[in-house]
Amino acid sequence: MMSDLFIAYRPLIDLFLLHSGFALGQYIVLRAGVFSVANAGLTAIGAYLSAWLTLRAGVHPALSVIAGTAAGTLVALLLSWPLARLRGVYQAIATLAFVQVVLSLNVYSERFTGGAMGMNGIPKVVSTGTLFISLLVTLYIIWAISRTRLGRAFDAIRQDEMVAASLGASVRYYQSVAFAISGAIAGYFGAMEAFNTYTIEPQRFGFDFLVAALTYVVFGGRRSIWGPVVGAAVLIALPELARPLAEYRTLVYGLIMIVVMAHLPRGVFDTFVEYLHRRRMARMDRAAIAKGDNA
Amino acid sequence: MSTLVLDRVSKRFGGVIAADNVSMQVPSGRITGLIGPNGAGKTTIVNLITGMMELTAGAIKLDDRDLSTTSPHEVSRAGLARTFQNIRLFKEAPVIDNVMGGFHRHEKCSLVSSLFALPSARAETRQIREKAGALLEKFGMTRYASYPAGSLAYGHQRRVEMMRALASGPSVLLLDEPVAGMNDVEAGELGGIFRELANGGMAVLLIEHNMRFVTKLCEHVYVLDGGRLIAEGPPKQVTSDPAVIAAYLGA
Ligand SMILES: Nc1ncnc2c1ncn2[C@@H]1O[C@H](COP(=O)(O)OP(=O)(O)OP(=O)(O)O)[C@@H](O)[C@H]1O
Ligand SMILES: [Mg+2]
Repeated sequence: MMSDLFIAYRPLIDLFLLHSGFALGQYIVLRAGVFSVANAGLTAIGAYLSAWLTLRAGVHPALSVIAGTAAGTLVALLLSWPLARLRGVYQAIATLAFVQVVLSLNVYSERFTGGAMGMNGIPKVVSTGTLFISLLVTLYIIWAISRTRLGRAFDAIRQDEMVAASLGASVRYYQSVAFAISGAIAGYFGAMEAFNTYTIEPQRFGFDFLVAALTYVVFGGRRSIWGPVVGAAVLIALPELARPLAEYRTLVYGLIMIVVMAHLPRGVFDTFVEYLHRRRMARMDRAAIAKGDNA
Repeated sequence: MSTLVLDRVSKRFGGVIAADNVSMQVPSGRITGLIGPNGAGKTTIVNLITGMMELTAGAIKLDDRDLSTTSPHEVSRAGLARTFQNIRLFKEAPVIDNVMGGFHRHEKCSLVSSLFALPSARAETRQIREKAGALLEKFGMTRYASYPAGSLAYGHQRRVEMMRALASGPSVLLLDEPVAGMNDVEAGELGGIFRELANGGMAVLLIEHNMRFVTKLCEHVYVLDGGRLIAEGPPKQVTSDPAVIAAYLGA
C-alpha cells in the first residue's frame, strides 16, 4: 500500500527534491546580499555539460556530474567579477541577461546541445535516493555555513555592506564565495536533473525556472535554511492538489510572489519562526517582571 | 601603542568643502575630543579615516602605515573601529549576533572548515559567542542578548554598537556622538568605560556635542568649523577661545 503510494508520487517527490536544490542555490546568493537570478543559467550549464559528456563523449555519469558542478562553480566565479561593480536591481538585470545568453546558446549551438529540441536518451542513473541524499548534504553544508564564519559574514554583508566592511569583511570576497557556492549547487542539481529526467531542453532553464526558484525562497523565507525547502514543497504540491492550477503554474507563482511580498515579506516559514520567538521572549519578559526584575 | 595622524586632510563635495587642510593626532592612551557645530565636518573626518570616503588631498597614517587609500575592510584589519552617529545595527538580528559580528577581524578558520562546520570552525563560533557574552556582561546588557537589536531603547542600541566596535579589538576607536540621546547617568557610565579603554592603551577619538562630557573626559580637543580647524588644546582653554565661542554662537 505504502509502496504503491510512493511509486505513484515518485515523479512528484523527485521534482520536489530537485527543486529544493535549485531553491537552496538561489537562497545562498540572496543570503550574502547578491541580487542574482543567474541560477537558471548556471543550472543549465551543469545539466547540459554533464549530459553532453556522458551522451556524446562516453564519460561516466559520476564524472560528468563532477564536471557539471565544477563548471557551475567556475562560471559563477567568473560572473562574480563584473557583478561586484553592480548593486541591487542592476545585478538582477545583468544576471537575467546572463540567463538569456545561456538560453540562446543552448538553442543556437545545435551541434552540441540539440538546439530547441534539447538532448534525449540521457541515462536515468539518478534515483530518488540519490536526490534525497544530495538534498541532505546540501542542507548540511548550508547549515554549516550558517553556524560558522561564512554565515556571519554573509549575514552582515546582506544587512549592511558598509558596516560589514567596517568590521573587516571584504564584501567582494564574500560575495564571490557565495556566488561560487551557489554556482556549485546549481551546477550539481542541474546534472542531477539531466540524469533523472531522460531529457533536457533549453526552455526548462528559462524564465519559468527563474521565477520558480525565486518564488520558493521568497514564499518560504530567506533566513532559515528550511524556508526554501518549505517553499518548494508547498509550491510543488499546490498545483497537484488543485489540478486545474497546474496549467497556470507560472501565473500562480507570480501571484503568490506578489501577495507574499506585500503581506508576509519574510516568507511563511520565517514568519512562523519569528512568531514562536516573539512568544518565547514575551514569556521571558513576563517571568522577569514576575520576579520583580524589570531593570 | 599607536598614533593616528591626519596630515592636511581635505575633502570636497562638489562646491562644499567638508574638510579643509585638517591636521590632527590621536595618540594611544588618551581620549581626544573633536567638536564643532552642526555640519562642521566631524563625521566626514571619521568617514575619511575609515576609508568610507576618498580623500581629496592629504594623508592619513597609523604609525608608519599609510591608510590614505585603504579600503574600509583593510582599515578595520589595521586596527581601527568606529561607531555611527545614526546607529547602524543589524536591526533584526539578536543583540548577541550583532556583537559576534564585531569579531570578524579575528576569525581564522578556513573556508573549507566553515563550509563543512569542521571542529575548528565550530570551536571558533563557540569562542566568539563566549567573548561576546563577556562583553555583554561588561556593558550590563546580558539580559538583552536574544532581543532583536532594533527593538532596544536608543541608549541600549548605542551600547550594542560600541560592543560591536570593541569586539574587533581595535587600537584606535572612533566614536561619533556615542552618548547622544542618553541621560547624564548613562553617559557617565559610558564615559567611565571610555576612560578605562584609554587607560588600557587605546587611542580614542570622541565626537560629542555635550561640552560637559567632553571637558570631563578629554585632555586634548580639536574644534572644527566649516571644515577648518579653528582651535585645539586642553578643553578649558578651547572653550574660552573667542573663535570657538563665535563659531558656536554663529551656528
Ligand atoms: N556624502 C556627502 N555628500 C555630499 N555632502 C556631504 C556628504 N557628507 C557630508 N556632506 C556635507 O559635508 C558637510 C559636513 O558634514 P558632516 O556630516 O561631516 O558634519 P558633522 O560635523 O558631522 O555635523 P553633525 O554635528 O550634524 O553630525 C556638510 O555640509 C554636509 O552637508
Ligand atoms: Mg556628524
